[in-house]
Amino acid sequence: MTMSNQIGGVIVSHGQVANELLSAAETVVGEVGHVAAVSIGWHDDVEAAKGEIERAIKQVSHGKGVLLMTDMFGGTPTNIAAMFLKENEVELVTGVNLPMVLKLATTNGDATLSDVAKSVEEQGKQSIYRTGALLDVHKTV
Amino acid sequence: MPEAKVTLINPLGLHARAAAKLVKLAVNYESSITISRPNKQKSADARSILSVLELGAKQGTELLVSADGIDANEAILAAAELIESGFGEI
Repeated sequence: MTMSNQIGGVIVSHGQVANELLSAAETVVGEVGHVAAVSIGWHDDVEAAKGEIERAIKQVSHGKGVLLMTDMFGGTPTNIAAMFLKENEVELVTGVNLPMVLKLATTNGDATLSDVAKSVEEQGKQSIYRTGALLDVHKTV
Repeated sequence: MPEAKVTLINPLGLHARAAAKLVKLAVNYESSITISRPNKQKSADARSILSVLELGAKQGTELLVSADGIDANEAILAAAELIESGFGEI
């Protein structure tokens, strides 16, 4: 899974969500060396959080760009992460879920940053199912 | 295209770690392996864990394994064996 030409990823969240998402993804697909997690404490200082994200970006960056994935649009982790947006270098997708992390973890080295950002966004949206309706448990869909 | 019919026997169905085992197997073959649920008209690329998970297959689900490529027969046999062994979980 660790390929130096891969697009890097940083999951940024409130509390421990980011660490746990990464650890769940690694339980499924093995070590994911090109993705890092930054968990921002509820009372953390903005500057400290910014520094942590910056370090994480450097850690996973191999020249092909870095995709930031945050927990919620409008939240502090997203607002801080958005300070790092840079065309063709850093992209940001909000509303991170496990399928999105798996998508990034299993994407090969050929795609461009914006393609990867789009496919991760798409994957996140597609992976949400109202499962009862899918299984015909409810009469009305 | 050659194909094999198999039934999922492990209690958890085609869950994340089982799907990961299938993907690990699939990437070892030249041929592309397709897993499908004929009843639901769904099919998945065995190299993509998300695609396999979206089959939503549970214990008792019948699956069709097919492959296209130079080592298609070996690929199908190996994938079918993994599925029918319950992914080593039984």
